[in-house]
Amino acid sequence: MHLPKSWSEIDVLQFKEIRELYTIPEVFNREVEILAVLADVSSEDLEDLDIEDVSALIKEIKFVNSEPSKQYKHQVDDYHFKPLDKLTIGEYIDLEFYFSKDYNQHIGHIASIFYRQKSTNQWGVTVYEPYDFSPRQRFELFEDYSINDIYGIVPEFIAFRENFMETYGNLFHDESEEDEEDEKPTTSQESKDIQLKKSELKWGWERLVYSLCNEDLTKFKEVLNLPLIMTFNMLAMKKELNV
Amino acid sequence: MVNILGFDVPNQLNELTVQQFETITTIHADIELDVIDKHLQVFEFLGVPTIKWDDVEIEEFKEIVKSFNDVTGKPELVSSLEIDGYTYTAFEDKFKLSVKDTKSIEKIMNSKHKGYVSELLAVLFKRTDLTKVEHYSDAHIKLKSKLIRELKAEIAVPYLVEIGQKLSKHIPKDAPTEILE
Repeated sequence: MHLPKSWSEIDVLQFKEIRELYTIPEVFNREVEILAVLADVSSEDLEDLDIEDVSALIKEIKFVNSEPSKQYKHQVDDYHFKPLDKLTIGEYIDLEFYFSKDYNQHIGHIASIFYRQKSTNQWGVTVYEPYDFSPRQRFELFEDYSINDIYGIVPEFIAFRENFMETYGNLFHDESEEDEEDEKPTTSQESKDIQLKKSELKWGWERLVYSLCNEDLTKFKEVLNLPLIMTFNMLAMKKELNV
Repeated sequence: MVNILGFDVPNQLNELTVQQFETITTIHADIELDVIDKHLQVFEFLGVPTIKWDDVEIEEFKEIVKSFNDVTGKPELVSSLEIDGYTYTAFEDKFKLSVKDTKSIEKIMNSKHKGYVSELLAVLFKRTDLTKVEHYSDAHIKLKSKLIRELKAEIAVPYLVEIGQKLSKHIPKDAPTEILE
Protein backbone atom coordinates (compact mmCIF):
# COMPACT_ATOMS: atom_id res chain seq x y z
CA MET A 1 0.00 0.00 0.00
CA HIS A 2 1.56 3.28 -1.10
CA LEU A 3 0.99 6.11 1.31
CA PRO A 4 2.05 9.73 0.89
CA LYS A 5 4.66 10.94 3.34
CA SER A 6 3.76 14.62 3.52
CA TRP A 7 1.34 17.28 2.33
CA SER A 8 3.56 17.90 -0.69
CA GLU A 9 2.22 14.66 -2.17
CA ILE A 10 -1.42 15.66 -1.63
CA ASP A 11 -3.33 17.63 -4.23
CA VAL A 12 -6.00 20.22 -3.49
CA LEU A 13 -8.86 17.84 -4.28
CA GLN A 14 -7.54 15.19 -1.88
CA PHE A 15 -6.99 17.85 0.76
CA LYS A 16 -10.63 18.90 0.50
CA GLU A 17 -11.72 15.29 0.71
CA ILE A 18 -9.57 14.73 3.82
CA ARG A 19 -10.74 17.88 5.57
CA GLU A 20 -14.35 16.99 4.89
CA LEU A 21 -13.80 13.75 6.81
CA TYR A 22 -13.10 15.79 9.94
CA THR A 23 -16.86 16.00 10.38
CA ILE A 24 -16.75 12.34 11.49
CA PRO A 25 -16.78 12.61 15.28
CA GLU A 26 -15.21 9.22 16.05
CA VAL A 27 -11.41 9.43 15.84
CA PHE A 28 -10.72 5.89 14.65
CA ASN A 29 -13.57 5.91 12.10
CA ARG A 30 -12.22 9.19 10.74
CA GLU A 31 -8.60 8.02 10.58
CA VAL A 32 -9.61 4.86 8.70
CA GLU A 33 -11.57 6.90 6.17
CA ILE A 34 -8.60 9.25 5.70
CA LEU A 35 -6.28 6.28 5.30
CA ALA A 36 -8.57 4.88 2.62
CA VAL A 37 -8.54 8.19 0.72
CA LEU A 38 -4.75 8.42 0.86
CA ALA A 39 -4.23 4.78 -0.07
CA ASP A 40 -6.80 5.17 -2.83
CA VAL A 41 -8.81 2.16 -1.64
CA SER A 42 -12.33 1.75 -0.37
CA SER A 43 -12.59 1.90 3.43
CA GLU A 44 -14.40 -1.43 3.21
CA ASP A 45 -11.18 -2.96 1.91
CA LEU A 46 -9.57 -2.13 5.25
CA GLU A 47 -12.31 -3.47 7.48
CA ASP A 48 -11.05 -7.01 7.86
CA LEU A 49 -7.55 -5.92 8.85
CA ASP A 50 -6.41 -6.11 12.44
CA ILE A 51 -6.46 -2.87 14.41
CA GLU A 52 -2.72 -3.28 15.07
CA ASP A 53 -1.89 -3.33 11.36
CA VAL A 54 -4.12 -0.40 10.56
CA SER A 55 -2.91 1.72 13.44
CA ALA A 56 0.63 1.25 12.14
CA LEU A 57 -0.51 2.61 8.77
CA ILE A 58 -2.37 5.47 10.45
CA LYS A 59 0.87 6.46 12.17
CA GLU A 60 2.45 6.86 8.74
CA ILE A 61 -0.09 9.52 7.77
CA LYS A 62 0.05 11.53 10.99
CA PHE A 63 0.99 14.59 8.96
CA VAL A 64 -2.70 15.06 8.02
CA ASN A 65 -3.34 16.34 11.53
CA SER A 66 -1.05 19.27 10.90
CA GLU A 67 -1.51 22.20 8.56
CA PRO A 68 0.01 22.17 5.06
CA SER A 69 2.92 24.49 4.37
CA LYS A 70 2.29 28.17 5.00
CA GLN A 71 4.62 29.05 2.13
CA TYR A 72 2.85 29.39 -1.20
CA LYS A 73 3.90 29.71 -4.79
CA HIS A 74 3.73 33.16 -6.31
CA GLN A 75 3.16 31.65 -9.70
CA VAL A 76 1.09 28.62 -10.63
CA ASP A 77 1.43 28.02 -14.36
CA ASP A 78 0.05 31.16 -16.03
CA TYR A 79 -1.48 32.46 -12.83
CA HIS A 80 0.26 34.92 -10.56
CA PHE A 81 -0.47 35.77 -6.96
CA LYS A 82 -2.16 39.17 -6.79
CA PRO A 83 -0.80 41.04 -3.76
CA LEU A 84 -3.28 41.61 -0.96
CA ASP A 85 -2.85 45.37 -1.05
CA LYS A 86 -4.15 45.33 -4.60
CA LEU A 87 -7.45 43.62 -3.72
CA THR A 88 -10.62 45.26 -4.92
CA ILE A 89 -13.85 45.56 -2.95
CA GLY A 90 -15.50 42.86 -5.07
CA GLU A 91 -12.63 40.43 -4.57
CA TYR A 92 -12.58 41.05 -0.84
CA ILE A 93 -16.33 40.51 -0.51
CA ASP A 94 -16.08 37.16 -2.31
CA LEU A 95 -13.11 36.13 -0.17
CA GLU A 96 -15.08 37.01 2.95
CA PHE A 97 -17.89 34.82 1.67
CA TYR A 98 -15.66 31.78 1.12
CA PHE A 99 -13.83 32.24 4.41
CA SER A 100 -17.10 32.52 6.31
CA LYS A 101 -18.37 29.29 4.69
CA ASP A 102 -15.48 26.85 4.98
CA TYR A 103 -12.17 27.86 3.51
CA ASN A 104 -10.87 24.30 3.38
CA GLN A 105 -13.68 23.28 1.08
CA HIS A 106 -13.33 26.45 -0.99
CA ILE A 107 -9.57 26.57 -1.32
CA GLY A 108 -9.86 26.32 -5.13
CA HIS A 109 -12.36 29.20 -5.20
CA ILE A 110 -10.08 31.27 -2.99
CA ALA A 111 -7.06 30.45 -5.17
CA SER A 112 -8.96 31.51 -8.28
CA ILE A 113 -9.41 34.98 -6.77
CA PHE A 114 -5.78 35.32 -5.77
CA TYR A 115 -4.06 33.69 -8.74
CA ARG A 116 -4.58 35.71 -11.89
CA GLN A 117 -3.13 36.20 -15.30
CA LYS A 118 -1.10 39.35 -15.65
CA SER A 119 0.65 41.44 -18.21
CA THR A 120 2.87 44.50 -18.35
CA ASN A 121 1.40 47.55 -19.99
CA GLN A 122 3.24 49.98 -22.25
CA TRP A 123 4.39 51.94 -19.19
CA GLY A 124 5.97 48.87 -17.63
CA VAL A 125 3.26 48.54 -14.98
CA THR A 126 1.96 45.09 -14.04
CA VAL A 127 -1.72 44.76 -14.81
CA TYR A 128 -3.80 41.88 -13.43
CA GLU A 129 -6.68 40.44 -15.42
CA PRO A 130 -9.99 41.95 -14.33
CA TYR A 131 -12.24 40.10 -11.94
CA ASP A 132 -14.80 39.39 -14.63
CA PHE A 133 -15.21 35.72 -13.86
CA SER A 134 -16.83 33.70 -11.10
CA PRO A 135 -14.58 31.59 -8.83
CA ARG A 136 -17.09 28.82 -9.48
CA GLN A 137 -15.87 28.74 -13.09
CA ARG A 138 -12.22 28.45 -12.15
CA PHE A 139 -11.79 26.58 -8.90
CA GLU A 140 -11.21 23.25 -10.66
CA LEU A 141 -8.09 24.66 -12.32
CA PHE A 142 -6.35 24.50 -8.96
CA GLU A 143 -7.49 21.08 -7.78
CA ASP A 144 -4.62 19.12 -9.27
CA TYR A 145 -1.89 21.24 -7.69
CA SER A 146 -0.15 20.20 -4.51
CA ILE A 147 -1.93 21.69 -1.51
CA ASN A 148 1.48 22.99 -0.39
CA ASP A 149 1.63 25.17 -3.52
CA ILE A 150 -1.35 27.31 -2.56
CA TYR A 151 -2.47 26.64 1.04
CA GLY A 152 -0.30 29.45 2.40
CA ILE A 153 -2.68 32.03 0.93
CA VAL A 154 -5.16 31.05 3.66
CA PRO A 155 -3.15 32.15 6.73
CA GLU A 156 -1.85 35.09 4.69
CA PHE A 157 -5.39 36.33 4.02
CA ILE A 158 -6.53 35.63 7.58
CA ALA A 159 -3.72 37.81 8.93
CA PHE A 160 -4.56 40.52 6.40
CA ARG A 161 -8.26 40.32 7.27
CA GLU A 162 -7.56 40.60 11.01
CA ASN A 163 -5.51 43.70 10.42
CA PHE A 164 -8.14 45.08 8.05
CA MET A 165 -10.99 44.54 10.51
CA GLU A 166 -8.94 46.03 13.31
CA THR A 167 -8.34 49.14 11.23
CA TYR A 168 -11.73 49.55 9.61
CA GLY A 169 -14.09 47.44 11.75
CA ASN A 170 -15.81 50.53 13.14
CA LEU A 171 -17.03 51.39 9.64
CA PHE A 172 -19.23 48.32 9.60
CA HIS A 173 -21.40 49.25 12.59
CA ASP A 174 -22.29 52.14 14.85
CA GLU A 175 -20.27 52.11 18.08
CA SER A 176 -23.41 53.21 19.94
CA GLU A 177 -25.08 49.96 18.95
CA GLU A 178 -22.39 47.69 20.42
CA ASP A 179 -23.93 47.40 23.86
CA GLU A 180 -27.37 46.68 22.50
CA GLU A 181 -26.42 43.45 20.78
CA ASP A 182 -27.50 41.09 23.54
CA GLU A 183 -30.56 43.05 24.58
CA LYS A 184 -33.82 41.18 24.63
CA PRO A 185 -36.84 42.99 23.18
CA THR A 186 -39.52 44.04 25.64
CA THR A 187 -41.87 45.75 23.20
CA SER A 188 -42.94 44.94 19.68
CA GLN A 189 -41.14 48.06 18.44
CA GLU A 190 -37.87 46.89 20.03
CA SER A 191 -38.39 43.49 18.48
CA LYS A 192 -38.78 45.13 15.07
CA ASP A 193 -35.64 47.20 15.65
CA ILE A 194 -33.62 44.09 16.51
CA GLN A 195 -34.95 42.33 13.43
CA LEU A 196 -33.96 45.33 11.33
CA LYS A 197 -30.44 45.27 12.77
CA LYS A 198 -30.14 41.58 11.95
CA SER A 199 -31.21 42.30 8.37
CA GLU A 200 -28.69 45.12 8.17
CA LEU A 201 -25.94 42.74 9.30
CA LYS A 202 -27.05 40.12 6.78
CA TRP A 203 -26.96 42.63 3.93
CA GLY A 204 -23.91 44.51 5.26
CA TRP A 205 -21.76 44.36 2.14
CA GLU A 206 -24.66 45.03 -0.23
CA ARG A 207 -25.64 48.07 1.83
CA LEU A 208 -22.09 49.38 1.78
CA VAL A 209 -21.74 48.97 -1.99
CA TYR A 210 -25.21 50.41 -2.55
CA SER A 211 -24.28 53.47 -0.54
CA LEU A 212 -20.96 53.83 -2.39
CA CYS A 213 -22.99 53.76 -5.64
CA ASN A 214 -25.06 56.63 -4.32
CA GLU A 215 -27.98 54.24 -4.78
CA ASP A 216 -27.28 54.12 -8.51
CA LEU A 217 -27.15 50.44 -9.42
CA THR A 218 -25.53 51.15 -12.80
CA LYS A 219 -22.37 51.99 -10.84
CA PHE A 220 -22.41 48.73 -8.90
CA LYS A 221 -19.66 47.02 -10.92
CA GLU A 222 -17.56 50.15 -10.92
CA VAL A 223 -17.65 50.23 -7.12
CA LEU A 224 -16.77 46.53 -6.86
CA ASN A 225 -13.62 47.25 -8.88
CA LEU A 226 -12.45 50.03 -6.58
CA PRO A 227 -9.25 49.34 -4.63
CA LEU A 228 -10.22 48.05 -1.19
CA ILE A 229 -7.70 49.92 0.93
CA MET A 230 -8.11 53.26 -0.83
CA THR A 231 -11.91 53.05 -0.54
CA PHE A 232 -11.84 52.21 3.14
CA ASN A 233 -9.34 54.97 3.81
CA MET A 234 -11.76 57.41 2.20
CA LEU A 235 -14.67 56.00 4.20
CA ALA A 236 -12.66 56.33 7.40
CA MET A 237 -11.81 59.92 6.54
CA LYS A 238 -15.49 60.64 5.80
CA LYS A 239 -16.55 59.20 9.10
CA GLU A 240 -13.90 60.96 11.13
CA LEU A 241 -14.59 64.34 9.56
CA ASN A 242 -18.33 63.64 9.42
CA VAL A 243 -18.48 64.77 5.79
CA MET B 1 -23.29 -12.57 47.36
CA VAL B 2 -22.85 -10.16 50.18
CA ASN B 3 -25.37 -9.60 52.93
CA ILE B 4 -26.24 -5.94 53.33
CA LEU B 5 -28.63 -4.94 56.12
CA GLY B 6 -30.32 -8.33 55.87
CA PHE B 7 -30.56 -8.41 52.07
CA ASP B 8 -28.60 -10.79 49.86
CA VAL B 9 -26.98 -8.58 47.24
CA PRO B 10 -25.14 -9.95 44.19
CA ASN B 11 -21.66 -8.45 43.89
CA GLN B 12 -19.54 -11.03 42.08
CA LEU B 13 -19.18 -11.01 38.31
CA ASN B 14 -20.68 -14.49 38.11
CA GLU B 15 -23.73 -13.30 40.07
CA LEU B 16 -24.51 -10.01 38.36
CA THR B 17 -26.04 -10.04 34.90
CA VAL B 18 -24.62 -7.88 32.10
CA GLN B 19 -27.75 -5.75 32.36
CA GLN B 20 -27.21 -5.19 36.11
CA PHE B 21 -23.57 -4.40 35.44
CA GLU B 22 -24.63 -1.83 32.82
CA THR B 23 -26.99 -0.16 35.27
CA ILE B 24 -24.31 -0.02 37.96
CA THR B 25 -21.76 1.52 35.61
CA THR B 26 -24.37 4.03 34.43
CA ILE B 27 -25.08 5.07 38.02
CA HIS B 28 -21.36 5.45 38.70
CA ALA B 29 -20.93 7.54 35.57
CA ASP B 30 -23.66 9.99 36.61
CA ILE B 31 -21.84 13.24 37.33
CA GLU B 32 -24.93 14.68 39.00
CA LEU B 33 -24.58 12.21 41.90
CA ASP B 34 -22.04 12.38 44.70
CA VAL B 35 -20.14 9.26 45.80
CA ILE B 36 -22.55 8.32 48.60
CA ASP B 37 -25.60 8.81 46.40
CA LYS B 38 -24.05 6.58 43.77
CA HIS B 39 -23.60 3.74 46.27
CA LEU B 40 -27.09 4.22 47.69
CA GLN B 41 -28.61 4.06 44.21
CA VAL B 42 -26.63 0.94 43.36
CA PHE B 43 -27.75 -0.76 46.59
CA GLU B 44 -31.34 0.26 46.00
CA PHE B 45 -31.15 -1.09 42.44
CA LEU B 46 -29.85 -4.40 43.82
CA GLY B 47 -32.62 -4.65 46.40
CA VAL B 48 -31.67 -2.63 49.49
CA PRO B 49 -34.32 0.10 50.07
CA THR B 50 -32.84 3.56 50.67
CA ILE B 51 -34.89 3.97 53.83
CA LYS B 52 -32.88 1.18 55.48
CA TRP B 53 -29.79 3.42 55.51
CA ASP B 54 -31.32 6.10 57.72
CA ASP B 55 -29.76 4.84 60.95
CA VAL B 56 -26.51 3.51 59.51
CA GLU B 57 -23.34 5.24 60.72
CA ILE B 58 -20.92 6.46 58.07
CA GLU B 59 -18.16 4.09 59.27
CA GLU B 60 -20.50 1.10 58.93
CA PHE B 61 -21.54 2.37 55.48
CA LYS B 62 -17.89 2.50 54.42
CA GLU B 63 -17.37 -1.11 55.57
CA ILE B 64 -20.43 -2.24 53.63
CA VAL B 65 -19.21 -0.53 50.47
CA LYS B 66 -15.82 -2.17 50.97
CA SER B 67 -17.35 -5.64 51.27
CA PHE B 68 -19.58 -5.00 48.23
CA ASN B 69 -16.54 -4.01 46.18
CA ASP B 70 -14.60 -7.11 47.24
CA VAL B 71 -14.80 -8.92 43.92
CA THR B 72 -12.83 -12.15 43.70
CA GLY B 73 -11.52 -14.08 40.72
CA LYS B 74 -10.32 -12.91 37.36
CA PRO B 75 -12.55 -14.19 34.57
CA GLU B 76 -10.95 -15.17 31.27
CA LEU B 77 -12.02 -14.22 27.78
CA VAL B 78 -14.65 -16.65 26.55
CA SER B 79 -14.22 -17.24 22.83
CA SER B 80 -17.74 -18.43 22.08
CA LEU B 81 -21.22 -18.65 23.59
CA GLU B 82 -24.14 -20.98 23.12
CA ILE B 83 -27.50 -19.23 23.28
CA ASP B 84 -30.81 -20.82 22.28
CA GLY B 85 -29.05 -23.47 20.21
CA TYR B 86 -26.90 -21.00 18.26
CA THR B 87 -23.15 -20.58 18.56
CA TYR B 88 -21.74 -17.07 18.77
CA THR B 89 -18.00 -16.74 18.29
CA ALA B 90 -15.79 -13.77 19.12
CA PHE B 91 -12.45 -15.26 18.10
CA GLU B 92 -10.78 -18.56 17.21
CA ASP B 93 -7.28 -18.78 18.68
CA LYS B 94 -6.31 -15.31 19.81
CA PHE B 95 -8.55 -12.33 20.39
CA LYS B 96 -8.10 -9.72 17.67
CA LEU B 97 -9.99 -6.55 16.96
CA SER B 98 -10.82 -6.00 13.32
CA VAL B 99 -11.15 -2.52 11.87
CA LYS B 100 -14.85 -3.12 11.24
CA ASP B 101 -15.49 -4.14 14.85
CA THR B 102 -13.40 -1.28 16.20
CA LYS B 103 -15.35 1.23 14.12
CA SER B 104 -18.64 -0.13 15.45
CA ILE B 105 -17.35 -0.25 19.03
CA GLU B 106 -16.09 3.32 18.84
CA LYS B 107 -19.51 4.50 17.70
CA ILE B 108 -21.22 2.57 20.50
CA MET B 109 -18.85 3.94 23.13
CA ASN B 110 -19.26 7.49 21.87
CA SER B 111 -23.03 7.21 22.10
CA LYS B 112 -22.65 6.59 25.88
CA HIS B 113 -26.02 4.92 26.18
CA LYS B 114 -26.94 2.64 29.03
CA GLY B 115 -26.80 -0.66 27.12
CA TYR B 116 -23.40 -0.10 25.59
CA VAL B 117 -21.70 -3.13 27.21
CA SER B 118 -24.13 -5.68 25.76
CA GLU B 119 -24.10 -3.91 22.40
CA LEU B 120 -20.34 -3.95 22.34
CA LEU B 121 -20.33 -7.71 22.99
CA ALA B 122 -23.01 -8.12 20.35
CA VAL B 123 -20.58 -6.68 17.80
CA LEU B 124 -17.81 -9.07 18.85
CA PHE B 125 -19.82 -12.28 19.14
CA LYS B 126 -20.94 -13.40 15.69
CA ARG B 127 -23.42 -16.14 15.04
CA THR B 128 -21.57 -18.78 13.09
CA ASP B 129 -24.42 -19.53 10.67
CA LEU B 130 -24.89 -15.94 9.50
CA THR B 131 -23.21 -13.81 6.85
CA LYS B 132 -21.03 -10.76 7.52
CA VAL B 133 -23.79 -8.40 6.41
CA GLU B 134 -26.22 -10.01 8.81
CA HIS B 135 -23.75 -9.79 11.71
CA TYR B 136 -23.69 -6.03 11.58
CA SER B 137 -27.32 -5.27 10.77
CA ASP B 138 -28.85 -2.99 13.40
CA ALA B 139 -31.74 -5.35 14.06
CA HIS B 140 -29.43 -8.30 14.63
CA ILE B 141 -27.11 -6.33 16.92
CA LYS B 142 -30.14 -5.24 18.96
CA LEU B 143 -31.40 -8.82 19.23
CA LYS B 144 -27.97 -10.09 20.29
CA SER B 145 -27.64 -7.29 22.84
CA LYS B 146 -30.93 -8.35 24.37
CA LEU B 147 -29.75 -11.95 24.68
CA ILE B 148 -26.32 -10.96 26.02
CA ARG B 149 -27.88 -8.69 28.65
CA GLU B 150 -29.20 -11.79 30.41
CA LEU B 151 -25.75 -13.41 30.62
CA LYS B 152 -23.43 -12.99 33.57
CA ALA B 153 -21.10 -10.00 33.78
CA GLU B 154 -18.09 -12.35 33.97
CA ILE B 155 -18.45 -12.73 30.19
CA ALA B 156 -18.36 -8.98 29.60
CA VAL B 157 -15.68 -7.66 31.94
CA PRO B 158 -12.63 -9.39 30.38
CA TYR B 159 -13.70 -8.01 27.01
CA LEU B 160 -14.07 -4.51 28.42
CA VAL B 161 -10.54 -4.73 29.82
CA GLU B 162 -9.09 -6.14 26.59
CA ILE B 163 -10.87 -3.62 24.36
CA GLY B 164 -9.91 -0.75 26.65
CA GLN B 165 -6.26 -1.74 26.40
CA LYS B 166 -6.32 -2.14 22.63
CA LEU B 167 -8.15 1.10 22.04
CA SER B 168 -5.91 3.15 24.28
CA LYS B 169 -2.89 1.65 22.54
CA HIS B 170 -4.06 1.94 18.96
CA ILE B 171 -6.60 4.71 18.66
CA PRO B 172 -4.91 8.06 18.29
CA LYS B 173 -6.00 10.78 20.63
CA ASP B 174 -8.16 13.33 18.89
CA ALA B 175 -5.71 15.93 17.69
CA PRO B 176 -7.53 18.70 15.89
CA THR B 177 -5.62 20.47 13.20
CA GLU B 178 -4.10 23.79 13.98
CA ILE B 179 -6.86 26.34 14.01
CA LEU B 180 -6.10 29.36 11.99
CA GLU B 181 -8.96 31.56 13.10
